[in-house]
Amino acid sequence: MTTPLALPGKNAHFGRPVPSVVPDAAPRPAPVPAVYRLTSVSSLTGEKQVERLRQDDPARIGEFLTLARLDADGSRGVPERRYLARSADGGHTVLAFLPSPGSDPARWAAEAQQAARLTQPGFWPVGQLGGTPAFPWYSSPYRPVLPLPAVLAAYGGPLPEPLVRALGGTLAEALASAHVLGIVHGGLCPAGVLLTACGPLLGCFGATRANPVTGAASPPQATGLETGCLAPELAAGGPADRAADVYALGAVLAYAATGHTVPEQQEIPAGLRDIITACRSRDPQGRPEPARVLAELLPGAAYGALTGSTEPMSLPGRIVEALSRQSAEVLAAALPTQGH
Amino acid sequence: MISPLLHDDPHTVGPFRILARLGGGGMGTVYLARSAGGRTVAVKTLHTRLAADTTLRTRFRLETDAARVIGSDHGAVVVDADPQAPTPWLATEYVLGPPLDAAVEAGGPLPEPAVRALGAALAAGLEQLHRSEVVHRDLKPSNILVTAQGPRIIDFGIARAFGDEHLTNVGSAVGTPAFMSPEQAAGLEHAAAGDVFALAGVLVFAATGVGPFGGGAPTDLLYRVRFGEPEIGGVPESLRPLLVRCLAKDPAHRPSTTELRTALGGAGAAPGDRGGFAELLPDAVLREIARRSDEVWREPPHRLPPPVPTETPRTGTAPAPGVSRRQLLTVAGGALLAGGLLGGGGWALFGGSGDDGGGGAKKDAVDRPKPPNQLWSTTIRCPDSGGEVTRVGRNLVMRAGIVLCGINAESGKDTWQANIAETWRSATDGSRVYALRGFQEKGAALAVCEVSPIDGQLGKPLVELSAFTGKEQYNQLLCVVDGIAYLVAKAASGKRWYLVAADLGKGKERWRSPVDGPQTEGFPPALCGAVVGSRVVLCGSPSQGSKFIGLSAHDKDHGRQLWEMSETFAGTTPPSRLVTDDRNLYLGAESLTARRLSDGGLEWLFGKGRDVGDNAGEERRYGEPILHDGVLYCTEADQGLIAVDALSGTLNWQEKGLSGRKNNRNVAPAIGKRYAYCADDKGLRAIDLRARKAVWTYETVPLVLSADAKGGHLYVRQEKRTIALPLA
Repeated sequence: MTTPLALPGKNAHFGRPVPSVVPDAAPRPAPVPAVYRLTSVSSLTGEKQVERLRQDDPARIGEFLTLARLDADGSRGVPERRYLARSADGGHTVLAFLPSPGSDPARWAAEAQQAARLTQPGFWPVGQLGGTPAFPWYSSPYRPVLPLPAVLAAYGGPLPEPLVRALGGTLAEALASAHVLGIVHGGLCPAGVLLTACGPLLGCFGATRANPVTGAASPPQATGLETGCLAPELAAGGPADRAADVYALGAVLAYAATGHTVPEQQEIPAGLRDIITACRSRDPQGRPEPARVLAELLPGAAYGALTGSTEPMSLPGRIVEALSRQSAEVLAAALPTQGH
Repeated sequence: MISPLLHDDPHTVGPFRILARLGGGGMGTVYLARSAGGRTVAVKTLHTRLAADTTLRTRFRLETDAARVIGSDHGAVVVDADPQAPTPWLATEYVLGPPLDAAVEAGGPLPEPAVRALGAALAAGLEQLHRSEVVHRDLKPSNILVTAQGPRIIDFGIARAFGDEHLTNVGSAVGTPAFMSPEQAAGLEHAAAGDVFALAGVLVFAATGVGPFGGGAPTDLLYRVRFGEPEIGGVPESLRPLLVRCLAKDPAHRPSTTELRTALGGAGAAPGDRGGFAELLPDAVLREIARRSDEVWREPPHRLPPPVPTETPRTGTAPAPGVSRRQLLTVAGGALLAGGLLGGGGWALFGGSGDDGGGGAKKDAVDRPKPPNQLWSTTIRCPDSGGEVTRVGRNLVMRAGIVLCGINAESGKDTWQANIAETWRSATDGSRVYALRGFQEKGAALAVCEVSPIDGQLGKPLVELSAFTGKEQYNQLLCVVDGIAYLVAKAASGKRWYLVAADLGKGKERWRSPVDGPQTEGFPPALCGAVVGSRVVLCGSPSQGSKFIGLSAHDKDHGRQLWEMSETFAGTTPPSRLVTDDRNLYLGAESLTARRLSDGGLEWLFGKGRDVGDNAGEERRYGEPILHDGVLYCTEADQGLIAVDALSGTLNWQEKGLSGRKNNRNVAPAIGKRYAYCADDKGLRAIDLRARKAVWTYETVPLVLSADAKGGHLYVRQEKRTIALPLA
C-alpha cells in the first residue's frame, strides 16, 4: 500500500544536508515515582511508515524547508514535483510545487502565474509564487490531501460507483464553470486530482501546455504526463482545448472506477460505461459537455453546489483514515529546533 | 472545537506558541499550540490560581504520568509537560476525532461490530494502564475520542495510582455518576474492576445512546448505580451476557480487561488493517473526523480584542468629593497616554464632545465626569436585610421599616403601604405583589393573598393550605413564579416544616418536601429561595453563631430534593439573595465560588493564591456578587471591583488604580451600560466599564444598590433615605 505521505531522512541537495525530522520538545524527564512504567513516546515511532526524500529532492524551496514528498516513490503520471514544506519558524506548513525535470520551467511558471490569477471553484488554489526562471515554484497552505492514486491505494482498489459519481460530478462541475469563462484546464490526470476532506480539487493546471508532448525528443512518459489522459488530437500536436479536458475527465473517471486510465469496456461498471466511453471518444465533436457529464453522473444535482464546499463529503472509512493519518503525521512532524 | 483566543489568553505556554482555544473549564484551559519546529499540539493548563492547591497540582502531575503510561495507541502522545510550572501545563498530540458522546449524537448508536471494536480497543488501553498500576476512575463517553484509527482515552483528571488514598475523600464522589462504579458511588475504593464497570457503561451508551442507568438527577443516578439493575434491553443480544457480567455490583464478579478484550474480539483490532476500524464507523462520525483533520490546518481565528475604551477619562479642575489626589493623578496619566496614542484627531474627537468645547485653549481643559444629580429622594427606612428595590409593573416595591411600600418610580412618592412587618412574608413575580395572610388574623390555615396595587390591602386568599398553620410568624413566602407560590411553612399538626409549592390559579397545594425549621431565634427557616430553571434552590438560615448555611435544590415539578450541602459564609451577614444563572449558584466569601445547580458540586473557585493585599481584619475577602450578562462582578478585599467569567471562573478584568477605599462587602454592586457602581467607605463609586477605573464618587452611605434597567434608574438605599440616580 502506498503511504500517503513520505517523510524525509538524510539527504543532500546543493551541498546542503537535509534535516531529518525529529520530534521536538522531547519529553522532559519529569519526576515520576518508580511505580510507573513509562512508555517512550515519539511521533515517528510505532507503526508509522517513514519514506525518505530522494537524492534529487531540494532541501529548501524558497523560505520553506522540505519535510516530505506528497507522491510516493516511483509514482508515475505526476507532471509536477510536490512537497510538503514548512517555514523555518515553524509557523507555516505548505504544499510546494515544482516543475518536473522534463518540462519547460519558464512555461511551467507561466501556467502557475495564470493559475494564481484564477479563483476557479474546484481548482487547486495557487498561493505564493517564487523562485527563479530556472527554478520556479509555487506554494499553497497545507491541508490534508490525497492524490487520486493514493485514494485508490488507501481504499484498496477501484472506488465504488457512488463515490466515482460523487468525485466525477464535482470535477465535471469544476470544468464546466471554467469552460464557461473560456478557461481550459489542460492538465487533468489522476495524480492531478487532489482529494481533500471537503471534496476533490483540480491541480496540475496547464500541465499539457508546460510539458510539450509533440516530437520524439520529449515523449509524454519523460515529462510525467499520463498518456491515457492525452486526447488523440493533443498527442498529434493540437492545442489543449475544452474537448481535450473532457477526454481527460473520462480517463480520470475510468481510473477511479477501474484503476486504469485505459480500461477494457467490460472493466467499467455498467452504470458508468456509456458516459466514460462518450468522454473518451476519439472524435472531439463526439464528447459531451462537462455539464452533461455532471447531469449523467449525478442526476438532479444542483449545478454549482458541489465545488468549493467547506463541509466534509461522505467518504469511505479507509479514505478518511488515510486523510486523518496524514493530517496527524504532519501535525506531529517538526523541524529540528536549535538545541536539539 | 477550535475557537478564538480571548484577549487575555497567554501568547506562549512553555515552549509553545498559542494559536486558538480548544476548550476551557473551571480547572483550566486547553489550547491549540505550535512548537518552534512547527509541531502542533494540544496544551492543557491548570489555572494559576488553582495551582496553589497542592491536591490539584498533584492530580495534574498524576494525569501527566497516566497520559504517558497509556501511550500513543490508546491515548494522546505526551509531547512535553511541566507540572511544576507556576501555571502547570501538559502538551499532547492534537487528537483528530470527536468525543464518543458527540459521535453518538452525530451518527446515532454504533452498530455491533463498531461497539465490539471500540470495546476491545478500550479494554486494551485499560489493560495497559492497569499493568502500570494506574486506574482511570473517570472513564466516560466525553473522555474517549473516536479517531479513524480507534478510540483514544484522554482526561485522566482523577486517575491515580493504586492505594494513593490521599486524593480521595471518601464520599466526595468525584467522577460522573452515570458511568461510576457502585463502589465509587458508595465512596469506596474504585480499583481496576471499577474501570471495567465504567467501560461496560460506555459500551451500553455506544450501542444505545443511553447509559445503563439512564440520566436524571445525580442523587437518583447514584442510587441506581449502587442498587438498580442496568437497563441493557437496547444492546445487541450477543453482547448482553458479557456486559451484564461487567456491570456486576460485586467487583470480584467482573471479568478482567484481558478477558473482556478477548471476548469482544473487535474486527478492527486485527493488526496491520489500518482502515478496519474506520470502516465500521457511521458516515456522520467519519465526516466529523475528516472535518477535524482538515479544520486544524485552516488559519486560526483572530484573537478577540480587548474592549477598547471609547471614552477617555477626563480630568477635572477640582477633585470630586472623596477622590484621593493619587487617584486623580492616575486618571490624568491615563488620559495623557490615550491622547498620545490617538494623536490629534482622536483627541479633538473626544475633546469636542464636551459642553464647553470650542475654543482651542479649552480643548486641553478636559473635565472629568461628575457624579450625577439625584432624580428624587425620599425618606424611607431601609431594613437590615431584604431591602432590594423591585420593579412591579410601572411602580417600585420596597421595604420601608416595618411596612411594604409601593413607590412611584418617577417621583419617589409612596402610593401604598401594606402592613407586613416581616420581610420574609411577601414576594413579587414582577407584575404582582403577594403576601401571606397575617399570622395574628382569624384564619387558621396558611393563605397566600395578593397585595392590592391601589391601597396595599390584602385581597381574598388565592390559596388556603389547611395542612399548614397560619398562626406561625416564621412561615415564609419565598417567591412566586408562573402562578406557583413557593413557601416554607409549618405543618398544622406536629412541628415539621416543609417546602411547599402552591398553585395560585387552582388554589391547591402541588407538593411539599420536608426541610429544616427556623435555626435561630428571630429568623425564618430560609435566608432566601428562588426558582432557577427546573429547580427550587433554597438557602437555609445558619444556626445561632454558626458560619454554615444549608444549600439545597428541589425538583420544581415534584418537590423531590435533588441535593443538599453545607456552605460557609464569611463576615457578619449571610447572603440575603441568591445569585444564580441556569448553571451555577455564586457565593462571595473567603473566595468566590460557583456551585453547580445540577448537583451542588463545586464548579469553580476563584481567589486562591491571589494577592489581595491587607484584608484589614475582615474575614470576608469577596463581596456580595452580582451577575450581569454572564459576568460576575464583585469587590475583592479593598482592591476594587473584579469581573469574573461566570462559566469558567476566570478573571476578565479588575479595576485599576484604586487605593485608600474600604469596600462594603455586604453591598452587591450594580451594573449599568457604562458604569459599575460599588459601595465603599467614601460613598458610591462609579467604575467606567471600558477604562476599568473609578471616574466619580457620590457621597453617601449605601446599604443597598438596585439597578433598574427598565426604568433607567439606580436606587441607592441609605439607612433612612432612598435616592434615585440615572443608571448609566
